[in-house]
Amino acid sequence: MMVSIVGLTMRLTSGGRPLTILDGITLDIARGDAVAVIGPSGSGKSTLLGLIAGLDAPTAGTITVGGVDITRLGESALARFRRETIGYVFQSYHLIPTLTAAENVAVPLELAGERRVSARARVLLEQVGLRDRGDHYPVQLSGGEQQRVALARAVALEPPLLLADEPTGNLDSATGAAIIELLFALNRERGSTLVLVTHDPALAERADRVVALRDGRVVGDRRREPALTS
Amino acid sequence: MTALRLAWRQARGARRHFFVFFACVVLGVAALVSVGSFGATLNRTLAREAKGLLGGDVELRAARPLPEDVEREIAALVGPGAMVVQVRELVGMARGLDNGRSLLVELKAVGREYPLYGRLATTPAEPLAALLADHGAVVQREALERLGLRVGDRLALGTLILTVRGVVDIEPDRSASLVRLGPRMFVAPEALEQSGLLQLGSRVRYRTLVKLPPAQPARGLSEALARRISDPGIRVSSFDEAQPGLRRFFTQLTSYLGLVGLASLLVGGIGVASSVSAFVRRQQPTIAILKSLGATSRTIVTMFLVQTQVVGVAGSLVGAAFGVALQPLLITALAGFVPFTLEPRADAPTVARGVIMGSLTTLLCVLWPLLDVREVRAALVLRRDVEAAAPDVHRRPWVAALPIAAGLAALALWQAGSFKIGGIFVGASVGAVLGLWAVARGLVVLARRLPRPPSPAWQHGLGALRRPGGQAARVVIALGAGVMLLVAVALLQQSLDAQIDHEQRRQAPSFFFLDVQPDQRDAFAQLVRQRTGGTAPTLTPIVRSRLAAIDGEPVTRAMVQARGGEARETAFYYTREYVLTWAAEPPAGNTITRGHWWNGEPGPPRVSVEEVMARQLGVDIGSRLTFDVQGVPLEAEVTSLRKVDWQSLTTNFFVVFSPGALDGAPTTYVAAARTPAVTEATLQSAVVSAFPNVTAIPVRDVLERVGVVLANIAVAIRVIALFTVGTGLVVMAGALASTRYQRLYESVVLRTLGATRGAVARAFAVEYGCLGAAAGVGGTALAAVLAWVVLRFVLETPWRFEPMAMLAGVVLTVALSMAVGFLTTFRLLGAKPLPVLRRE
Repeated sequence: MMVSIVGLTMRLTSGGRPLTILDGITLDIARGDAVAVIGPSGSGKSTLLGLIAGLDAPTAGTITVGGVDITRLGESALARFRRETIGYVFQSYHLIPTLTAAENVAVPLELAGERRVSARARVLLEQVGLRDRGDHYPVQLSGGEQQRVALARAVALEPPLLLADEPTGNLDSATGAAIIELLFALNRERGSTLVLVTHDPALAERADRVVALRDGRVVGDRRREPALTS
Repeated sequence: MTALRLAWRQARGARRHFFVFFACVVLGVAALVSVGSFGATLNRTLAREAKGLLGGDVELRAARPLPEDVEREIAALVGPGAMVVQVRELVGMARGLDNGRSLLVELKAVGREYPLYGRLATTPAEPLAALLADHGAVVQREALERLGLRVGDRLALGTLILTVRGVVDIEPDRSASLVRLGPRMFVAPEALEQSGLLQLGSRVRYRTLVKLPPAQPARGLSEALARRISDPGIRVSSFDEAQPGLRRFFTQLTSYLGLVGLASLLVGGIGVASSVSAFVRRQQPTIAILKSLGATSRTIVTMFLVQTQVVGVAGSLVGAAFGVALQPLLITALAGFVPFTLEPRADAPTVARGVIMGSLTTLLCVLWPLLDVREVRAALVLRRDVEAAAPDVHRRPWVAALPIAAGLAALALWQAGSFKIGGIFVGASVGAVLGLWAVARGLVVLARRLPRPPSPAWQHGLGALRRPGGQAARVVIALGAGVMLLVAVALLQQSLDAQIDHEQRRQAPSFFFLDVQPDQRDAFAQLVRQRTGGTAPTLTPIVRSRLAAIDGEPVTRAMVQARGGEARETAFYYTREYVLTWAAEPPAGNTITRGHWWNGEPGPPRVSVEEVMARQLGVDIGSRLTFDVQGVPLEAEVTSLRKVDWQSLTTNFFVVFSPGALDGAPTTYVAAARTPAVTEATLQSAVVSAFPNVTAIPVRDVLERVGVVLANIAVAIRVIALFTVGTGLVVMAGALASTRYQRLYESVVLRTLGATRGAVARAFAVEYGCLGAAAGVGGTALAAVLAWVVLRFVLETPWRFEPMAMLAGVVLTVALSMAVGFLTTFRLLGAKPLPVLRRE
């Protein structure tokens, strides 16, 4: 198993009132799988993804990624875990505004202490079709371009687990489709596990498995019919 | 390495945020380096000019001519090729022969070989001996101006007529006392002897200067002489110990100026901390992204540390350059009491020290706000509006503040160079910060509690003071610290000026007349009575002496050292010349603190001793003091101790004898006389013409000279304190700029709702005015406390309430903070609302 989640609960306060985001979720994700998590707004999809990445601590439950219970890790160990295991693509890209496209892609490489960082960042940008945009700052790029930079950054260290949080949510459909192609292609090439949060049914249909959430609970979990893919 | 690379990349976005930070470090280090360089320049010059300042390799200085055996010792100890010159110095009255004007001059009679070191510059440039030959005199230009004379004119000195043959421009060993009694006048030794000024009881300083051949060490000779000459009244010094008083004064002055400079660096530290804190707040999204990409807090903190240290070091270097460039200004300000020319030059250790201070202060001040990086959660990339249910561990690790505070205290101690002064400085700083913080808190609480004001400008202005982010405390502390220093200097100066003034007005005499001989006594009193319109002068008999023995133990150099006379203050009480008097009643203004006054009881010689002198000498009631009066020993028992108000401008005495005990001793009289200012010159001239040997000390003139010295010191302190105020204003500008976006948004919302630009400007004015008023009131109140402490415990001068200076402190601060506030934010008023709202 790549990811093993047991009894995952997350409670937050919003405007002073308690709010249950995730309510005892138990879920396993196999190595190499491409899983789509669907559900209406506020169903807890993004929170689930964030918790798998160790971006936040759950109220209860355990998350085991690659055999390690990340809910027991400290701040520094979590950072190392993210660096080595996770590639994350955000709905709003989250590029660092003061760095160029190439420098943004280079950040994880630098954090990992890699060599020939700029050259590799250029290669990655070329793979996402942005060969000539390396010296541009995020504000100088379109939404689709920014998301491609974010994608290049997410796969830079070839992480075994790629997490994508509504990667096309801010894009028009044509641009979104191109990003999705790229996402699946990169995932296929590297043989990594992909967890994709979306509320786009068409997008979900491309995954091997679709998990549906509602009010913080798993309300549906189906594997795509092999017949349909062949 | 990773952090370094990241820091380099990231710095691009940080640059404009760090301007305030940079400016704070520049100003703080500039203040420190300018003071330090000035001190270094002084020390360098003192070392270089040491022989010239002393007048020789070795100097013997006494209140009486050297005994013959001492002269023989000198002759025996100095090798062949050495040169010895005798110098006598005293004050006397010079009188223009034709216009009758008179002037107190500092006389100096020198031997042919003078000066042994350094250069004496005269106009015309002829050998001094030639100019002085045949009843010549060479004077400072000031003497000519005040006497209304020119070179070639004649003047009277005592009973002698002299011709002015030239002007002295530079005198290498002009005694560098801070306040001089009058301009210099050189005369030949024979002329001095013929002038009638060297009477018994005259106050003459006898100096013997020795120039050694290059091979003979000065220290060796001075130590050998000190061993052989047992009379501690003969002070022996080698050139490297020259001018200890001057050295001490400058050491203390630069040390205090250094503390004022340090204050400005610490205020800068507030600016550094607050701009880094604002920076970290603004960088929160980036920090969260970096964390989500796997950066540890340690990596991110290191990255920011590298960035801030680069700015800190760069700011320190620029500040150091600025401080060095400022040298000529500071030197000009202090030139008044430096007896030699100072050449501004960069001093490497001072610059290095300034840069280290600046960098370390930066490091310590950024650590605390950078700890916030650890609190930024990676989850911020997921949501902005929802907080975690688990209690947010946003507790400042107060323990981490301890090493930071200890580090800053250590820097203060390093700068102060003494645990005591450094400790007082640290304590005072902590007190000032707490006081100003309390004022700022008070302002915020007041803004919250006050009933809603009817004017919209006041509503919004007061509302802005409560704005989260707490800029009120930063601004009030930073600005208030500068105000405190400036106002304190003003209050001190005014209190001291008032002290001088007050005594001039009330009971201070216009003149002290010295050396009135017994046979002149009645004629002198009569003349003064006539000239002042009927008030007789008070004449006090005095006898000059030195302390010869305490309880039978002779006062020798060895005895003084054994009794802890290493300290200059203590040695002074053993070796100084004592001016004795006798009195039937305790002198006015004196209080008996131990024992009892003789009250007419007959008996053997008894003395009343001033209490500080008694403490320093270790004597008490029943001790026996022996004084040497012109070679005659006179023993008396101590029967009372007195407290003397030295600030009162009357004749005060350390030692008062019982009546009759000094009968037969060579006596002169000191007289104090009061006359309206307009008749001062005629009284002086009348006395000097009638009694050429009598010296008139014009009190007003001397007090004015004291006032000038105080004003010079105040200027120097002000120059440095201005750095603190400047830094405070930069901190304020930075604090206002950090709320710029919020302000912009608020102002356009207000304008969208129909407020005019003027209304928004008025709301800003209320806010800046309140901040300035809090800083002004807090700073001025602390200044009053500081001035009171310094006056009460250091200067021992009464404190005066100076409402105008304090009001000026508050009003100017309000005006200044409104000006800086508007300069920082006036462009916001011109912004078009729609683009701003769209951006939000």
